[in-house]
Amino acid sequence: MNFNASRNVGAGGPRKAKRVVDVNAMGAPAPAPSFSPSAPYNTGYAQSPPPPYQQGIQLDGGQEFGTPEPAGNFGFMGGYPQSPMPAPGNIGAMLHQPIVQDMAMQYGNALAAQGREAVQRELGRFVAVSRLRYYFAVDTSYVLRKLLLILFPYRHSEWMVKYDQETPVQPRYDVNAPDLYIPSMGYVTYVLLAGFMLGLQHRFSPEQISIQASSALAYIIFEMVLYLVTLYITSTGTALKTLDLLAFSGYKYTVMIVSLLGALALGGVGYYCCLAYCSAGLSYFLVKTLRLQLLAGSPQPAEQPSYSYGYQPNPYAEQWSKPGGTKRRVYFLLFVALTQPLLCWWLTRHLVPAAALAAPVAT
Amino acid sequence: MLTLWNLFEASLLCLNAVCVLHEERFMQKMGWGANTQNQGFEDQSSIKFQILNLVRSIRTVTRIPLIILNILTIIFKLLLG
Repeated sequence: MNFNASRNVGAGGPRKAKRVVDVNAMGAPAPAPSFSPSAPYNTGYAQSPPPPYQQGIQLDGGQEFGTPEPAGNFGFMGGYPQSPMPAPGNIGAMLHQPIVQDMAMQYGNALAAQGREAVQRELGRFVAVSRLRYYFAVDTSYVLRKLLLILFPYRHSEWMVKYDQETPVQPRYDVNAPDLYIPSMGYVTYVLLAGFMLGLQHRFSPEQISIQASSALAYIIFEMVLYLVTLYITSTGTALKTLDLLAFSGYKYTVMIVSLLGALALGGVGYYCCLAYCSAGLSYFLVKTLRLQLLAGSPQPAEQPSYSYGYQPNPYAEQWSKPGGTKRRVYFLLFVALTQPLLCWWLTRHLVPAAALAAPVAT
Repeated sequence: MLTLWNLFEASLLCLNAVCVLHEERFMQKMGWGANTQNQGFEDQSSIKFQILNLVRSIRTVTRIPLIILNILTIIFKLLLG
């Protein structure tokens, strides 16, 4: 198939160049530094088609397999030595030359930069990294004030988040803004405290730490999925973002930790008292905060864009069925405010010593 | 106790359950069909519509990955009990 000397007189240049590529890929020995693929050689040779009377013959005398010549358009191959293609035995010696090492390092750096870019791009698609940074912009005084607020919210009067030209202000500057620092620290503290409480009851083993951690994580995921599906199914239109919801549901770790400390200090009585008091505080806090966030989203009670033209909306339909209606949001808010204490109780009851739990019930 | 593995198993089973609901044989018989003519005039934001929409989307999106996940889970459970 290669030697069709009579057929291709007058064939075009590009077609000839294509066959040059094939032969080069087949016939040339592989160049020793593995990072220079045979492609550069091929594109270099494709630019110079051999004289027409040689078109039919594939193996041109004009081709030289032996001398690689950098055509100047390969950036990192500029310093390639003009040595002939080395035999496999000389590869080791050639790799020690500083020029080869420099090129290898440059290539490695280029690859690493590409990889880093690719990872950041892909990660940026799933997690909004800049958005995430907002939630971790906290400082010590904010954390202290927020913790105090979660435990005793009854004297706080101004619950509205301050805005700074359409974007909410960073948590550093406003105690009402949600953050993800307290939830993540609370999660870690909860896992450690759970391990400690289990250790006090001689139920501890190192696997328990991972079991508790994965259990709490599974509950977080389950809770978030539940909230998101509820919001979607009831078509509740709110301005509440997913990360905000995650932040608010993470505040219950504070309550759990305080309840566990109460159980450590005073046994079953302490556990139930702390749980009841802190849950009430958390529910109050959530209602006050979420009321502003949930109900701040555009209500638009009169607009019904999904109806076809000329359709009269049912005048007897109740408030519930209006898309994004206020009633739905209020119900969702109550749903959230009720499930948080329930989950607090559920996630801590297996950690409190069973004897202490039974005591107040028995008396 | 709810662990990540239990959550994964439960969600896999739920997704399987959602995907086996047959459009023709079952959904239309129950009045949950997705291609009826009356749909354009119904309330597009009712809960029933949203749930059925969700079911249809889940079915379309997770049909193929669910096959792969099921095979992996079966192999995993066979090997590790």
